[in-house]
Amino acid sequence: MIAQIVVSGIIFGCIYGLAALGMVLIYKTSDIVNFAQGEMAMIITFIAFMFISKYELPYIASFALALLFAALLGAIVYILFLKPIQSSTPISLIVLTLGLYMIFHGLAGLIWGHSPTSFPRALEGSPFQIGSVFITPNEIFVVIFTICLMLLLFALFRFTKIGLAMRAAAQDMMASELMGIKVTKIFVLTWALGSLLGGVAGMLIAPTTFLHPSMMAEVLIMAFAAAVLGGFVSMPGAVIGGAIIGVFGNLVSYFVGSELRIVFVFLLIIVVLIIRPTGLFGGTQYIKKV
Amino acid sequence: MLKLDEVTIRFGGITAINQFSLEVPEGQIYSIIGPNGAGKTTLFNCISRFYTPASGKITFDGHNLLEHKSHQLAKMRIARSFQNTELFGKMTVLDNLLTGLHPSIKKNIFTIALRTGSVRNIENEARKRAFEVLEMLGISNLASELVESLSFGYQKMVDIGRAIMMDPKLIMLDEPVAGMNNIETEAVTNLIVRLKEEMNFSVLLIEHDMSLVMKISDYVTVVNFGQKISEGVPKDVQNDPVVIEAYLGEGDLDVKAE
Amino acid sequence: MKKIIIYTVILFMLMYPLLVGFSNYYLTIFFMMSVYVITALGLNLLLGFGGQVSVGQAGFLMVGAYSVAILSSKVGLPFIVTLPLAGIITGIVGLIIGLSAARLKGHFLAVVTLGFGISVPQIILNWQGLTGGYSGMSVAKPTFIFGIHFYYVVVLITLFIIFIIYNLVNSSLGRAFIAIRDSEVAAQSMGINVPLYKLLMFVISSFFTGVAGGLYAYWFSFVSPNDFTLATSFLILAMVVVGGLASIPGAIIGAMVLSLIPHYTDQFVGLTNLIIGVLMVFIILVRPNGLASIKKMSFKNLTFGKKVGNKGVIKDAEIG
Ligand SMILES: Nc1ncnc2c1ncn2[C@@H]1O[C@H](COP(=O)(O)OP(=O)(O)O)[C@@H](O)[C@H]1O
Ligand SMILES: [Mg+2]
Repeated sequence: MIAQIVVSGIIFGCIYGLAALGMVLIYKTSDIVNFAQGEMAMIITFIAFMFISKYELPYIASFALALLFAALLGAIVYILFLKPIQSSTPISLIVLTLGLYMIFHGLAGLIWGHSPTSFPRALEGSPFQIGSVFITPNEIFVVIFTICLMLLLFALFRFTKIGLAMRAAAQDMMASELMGIKVTKIFVLTWALGSLLGGVAGMLIAPTTFLHPSMMAEVLIMAFAAAVLGGFVSMPGAVIGGAIIGVFGNLVSYFVGSELRIVFVFLLIIVVLIIRPTGLFGGTQYIKKV
Repeated sequence: MLKLDEVTIRFGGITAINQFSLEVPEGQIYSIIGPNGAGKTTLFNCISRFYTPASGKITFDGHNLLEHKSHQLAKMRIARSFQNTELFGKMTVLDNLLTGLHPSIKKNIFTIALRTGSVRNIENEARKRAFEVLEMLGISNLASELVESLSFGYQKMVDIGRAIMMDPKLIMLDEPVAGMNNIETEAVTNLIVRLKEEMNFSVLLIEHDMSLVMKISDYVTVVNFGQKISEGVPKDVQNDPVVIEAYLGEGDLDVKAE
Repeated sequence: MKKIIIYTVILFMLMYPLLVGFSNYYLTIFFMMSVYVITALGLNLLLGFGGQVSVGQAGFLMVGAYSVAILSSKVGLPFIVTLPLAGIITGIVGLIIGLSAARLKGHFLAVVTLGFGISVPQIILNWQGLTGGYSGMSVAKPTFIFGIHFYYVVVLITLFIIFIIYNLVNSSLGRAFIAIRDSEVAAQSMGINVPLYKLLMFVISSFFTGVAGGLYAYWFSFVSPNDFTLATSFLILAMVVVGGLASIPGAIIGAMVLSLIPHYTDQFVGLTNLIIGVLMVFIILVRPNGLASIKKMSFKNLTFGKKVGNKGVIKDAEIG
């Protein structure tokens, strides 16, 4: 039984990890925590559903088109809303992305209503047994897809010029600008990627949560928790944090009750932030220079 | 009064200050000079307890400063200004100065909430004192301006004024005239001397302006690469070949002692 | 000028029940304004003056409301004891949240308070023995000496809280809060115990929010777990941002105007959220100091607030 809980926790954890990865990517480069990440993912999932149900496209094509939309959405959100106040106080940035959260949430409610709709899985097929654990082909797909995406991102960051520029911008915006790195271009790209990762998480979780405007509320908290565990700057940390949160959440659901899952995850975030403000994988804290 | 004993400060692998000792006597203007990046501000930050040294001792009037947190220094009457001004930008000049009285103002939340007579009296006293300091700085006309709307020179004045408000025994000034024009520099130079002579503050001064340093200091210590390379009365320091060597290429030692 | 405006407003508030013929509908509209004015002022103390983000103020409202419900119906305490106690209980909860705030900055604090706001209703739902879970709790209507209408008690309490908050922010305490917002480093050098003062901000803010929640429970004689949700927290945040950070008249006006929105838009699911969101985004992009920064509106004297705005990138880039 415990094995089953852990395994399905890890599978949920992959999805939380993907959402967290998107948030960490954006935070690392542009120093903004995107509170609207979950709602953007929800919109993207609705768009995917539109392709599937209205235009009757196959799942994979709808998935791909939705990701294209996701990248565009991320880029547009950055250019339209974040870029003009990039140098503003953290409070302004927080309020802005919270406002976007409300806008996306409200829009979705107005356009698509609030009754949950079912969303297809990537792979159909009945579960099979490995040891004492039941697992579906779709779940295996989720895990493999997450790992692939992670490796891809890792390679992008490590081995490409764009990745190098992203790392430079993350280090020091002004200096990068001076060295001729087009910071805006990098940020647009980051937001596109972050939005895309969120979108993937949305489409993968939708079969479980059903499709409705509040579907990402819990995922957002879980992704935050995952990112915090990873120190909010470590990309592998976000994914590992996701897995930990997934398993932790499942254990709480089983032993305490699923309604209290959010409460316990929230307590976990507080404890981690108080004991290790830099997260489990975060680096050293900087001392402010005056 | 203030004593640093073999203080070493490291950032990661870099040693910013190495085995540094100094002793500031009461009632003097004690200056620290040295090229950019020598570690002068780092020393201040360490005394202010923003940084904790890797080794060494810091005492003030016999109290071990390393056992105190930075906010407790105000109670021991140590005040400082900042190289790049750390002002409260959205406050008025007057309110900035009033924060300097924070340690000495009684703070009973219930009487404050009801704004009782005693609270109003204390506020009025505080304002009076702030205007005295503004007068001294010659900027009382700016009292109700927002600090962020002032020029850098005036901001530095406010920064110094805020420190003066604390009525400190030791006032630490980090490049007080950097970015000021000649007239402002002249005013601040006179002010520093007044702090010593009229108000009996001890002054620990970091300054790049050599003529100012040589004119008003009682004692000068020269730092380079986190190490003390020379010390003494201004005249001796100025003629020390080691110092001239350190400043070669910096090009601002073209000043003679008075 | 300032005095005239204040007296006119007070006179209007006293006459209001007569003007609307003690219609419960209109009194309730005014009542909700009062609840949000108190709450918005509480958040403004934290966010506008102290620079500490909270996206979980609805959680404090809930704690206050349920404290009243439990203390008055289960313990049977009278109004005059229960309401301050509700404030104190909420203040203690605020203290606990503040403990983490003292160590966290900006974004991370927002995450923690967001989690808090979401958790409170869940805890209430699941703590059935104490809270009655889904079915909520009923609260006995309070009665007052001389048969004074509850409305006037609310007016009195609201005015008193505005008076207190005005005094707090215009004192050494308020200066310490603003100092922390503008430069923690310098605040420390001035002898301000930064973590302690952050804690204090949270306690004061949550205390008043708890009182507002308590009034809510008494007014409607009923509380349920969904009375104040995440959307409420956003609404309160929008009130402060739209009204103007660190401006007391701004928060009051913002709260009064925005408290009307759910009233007119709630029949269209989603519209309320959309409007709140658009307002927040619009204000941040176009007028970061809120309505209070519109010169014509602020009658000079009325703007006893200190405004917040942009801080340069350079400062942020310096960290590390
Ligand atoms: N918080 C910090 N983190 C890392 N390095 C620092 C920090 N503060 C100062 N340094 C380094 O210490 C050295 C001395 O700097 P500083 O004390 O500012 O010099 P100055 O003599 O010009 O005031 C510099 O190399 C600087 O980069
Ligand atoms: Mg320096």
